[in-house]
Amino acid sequence: MARYGMALNYKNCINCRACETACKEENGVLLGKDNYRIWVGVKEAEGLFPNISIASQTYHPSQCQHCSNAPCQLVCPTNATYYSKDGVVKVDPTKCILCTYCINACPYDARYVDNRTVTVDKCTFCTDTRLANGETTTACQATCPTKVRVFGDLDDPTSEISQLLAKKEYRRVKEHLGTEPKLFYIL
Amino acid sequence: MNTFSLKKLFYFEKTPLNLLMAFVTVALLAGFMAGAVLYILHGHHAYNVTRQHPWGLLISMYVFFVVSSTGLCIISSIGHVFGIKEFQQIGKRAIAGAIITISSGFAVIGLEIGHPVTMLIYNVLTPGLTSAIWWMGTLYGMYLAFICLEFFFLTIKENHTLSKFFGIGGLLVGLAAHSNLGAVFGFLVSRPSANGVFYPVYFILSAMITGCYLIFLMYGFKYKMNFPAKVEVMLVKLSKILGMLLAVLIFFEAWKILTAVYGDLPERGATIMHSIKHPNFWFGELILGMLIPFTIILMSNAKAIKATVYASITGMVGIFFMRYDLVHDTLLYPMRTLKISEYELPPTFLEYFPSFAEFAIGFGGIGLSLFLYYVADKVFNLDESDSH
Repeated sequence: MARYGMALNYKNCINCRACETACKEENGVLLGKDNYRIWVGVKEAEGLFPNISIASQTYHPSQCQHCSNAPCQLVCPTNATYYSKDGVVKVDPTKCILCTYCINACPYDARYVDNRTVTVDKCTFCTDTRLANGETTTACQATCPTKVRVFGDLDDPTSEISQLLAKKEYRRVKEHLGTEPKLFYIL
Repeated sequence: MNTFSLKKLFYFEKTPLNLLMAFVTVALLAGFMAGAVLYILHGHHAYNVTRQHPWGLLISMYVFFVVSSTGLCIISSIGHVFGIKEFQQIGKRAIAGAIITISSGFAVIGLEIGHPVTMLIYNVLTPGLTSAIWWMGTLYGMYLAFICLEFFFLTIKENHTLSKFFGIGGLLVGLAAHSNLGAVFGFLVSRPSANGVFYPVYFILSAMITGCYLIFLMYGFKYKMNFPAKVEVMLVKLSKILGMLLAVLIFFEAWKILTAVYGDLPERGATIMHSIKHPNFWFGELILGMLIPFTIILMSNAKAIKATVYASITGMVGIFFMRYDLVHDTLLYPMRTLKISEYELPPTFLEYFPSFAEFAIGFGGIGLSLFLYYVADKVFNLDESDSH
């Protein structure tokens, strides 16, 4: 079985937000300010005019980190949140009771309530849509004009993501919490 | 059980205090119904909870009610489980109160959980054994069964052996359930201000304090401040216990705050500093909930029973703020640290104010408790029977 992860050359991000749009379109995410599976965080430029560091303004594309030790899965009272056989953290809407404990427990703000199923929803790495149709990329990756995202199998040493992580330094978000996130930000 | 008829149920002495209580109860019950209708029509959109602040007043009120229930159960056990003679008289009234408050808590949480029926099914079919919510919910279900049986054998079919057996069971399961409720917050690794051992222990302590306040209020209202000697002896002793518990709570809180702000650990120090500067903490929790009752007990050497009854009103208001802050302060620090749209400022401490529906349901639960207590007092003999 695969163990899916994603590497992000986040310094290439131009904040065009095509990834957000592609995600909504591909996965049928509803409109609304709280309804998003992925987002681009903006770190504003540092310094006071005229000494503003342009290099300090960076964009941080983010989404569910698909943690190997996911706090959201640990706290779910009905096991509605589960790991798929590919290591993707998913929600079974038939079991979700909407206690929203997982939303509290997620350190990454990666979960929200889907107003159609009235259950918690989140990024699935497009496993229910594109990957189920035989594609090998996620919607956010396929649409990115600057090739920020590299999605693939971390257990396959020949995969693009494994090759990239073997060569480049990277960091993971809030790694100190022991969540073992599977999103890697290339430095 | 008393002889019971509808006419008797709705008859009460028309004193100003009784009329005020009747009005408050009916108004709060109407609020509960209105809030429930709003929730049925609009779901969670009737509440001011958001993606960043998914829990609100209703979770606070649920905790408020179950803390009250566990507190009453623990305080009542002093008499009929541990055999301290003076406290045996409060057994039935306190256990009735425990059943009523936890039922109100379940009514409130039933309107907060999105799919309560799914919960009943999948809590059993696919239990999440690593979830503090699963343990808390399951243990509270067992706790309710235990205390109902305890009440049955105390009041309806008097059997001291069985009432003591279910009393011990209810106490142990209640303690386990309640500390698990603390763990619901304490287990959150993503929330450094809540994470740790403090809440599971603090929940038991604050439950006992809530139980004392409620006993004072129940007896103060029942006897209209003219206490028989036997009751006064019990209340003086309870006042001493309350004073000691408040001292321990103030000590705990002081060290919680000091350890949180010491070294200014990221996310934790700033969150605690932000919350203790808010009037909810220093006025609500500290002055109303702790200092006023503690000072009265300390200054009067625990003998000012009437003043302690009044202080129990401020104490319960303080307990409400403790429960409100518990939820709000846990969620205060934003998990999304960067702005995500052009026309916003970088995220800072989250703000939340409950909606009308949340107020109506949350405080409506108090009306539910008052109504059920009134009915229980009419239907059952909640005072110590002669055979004790």
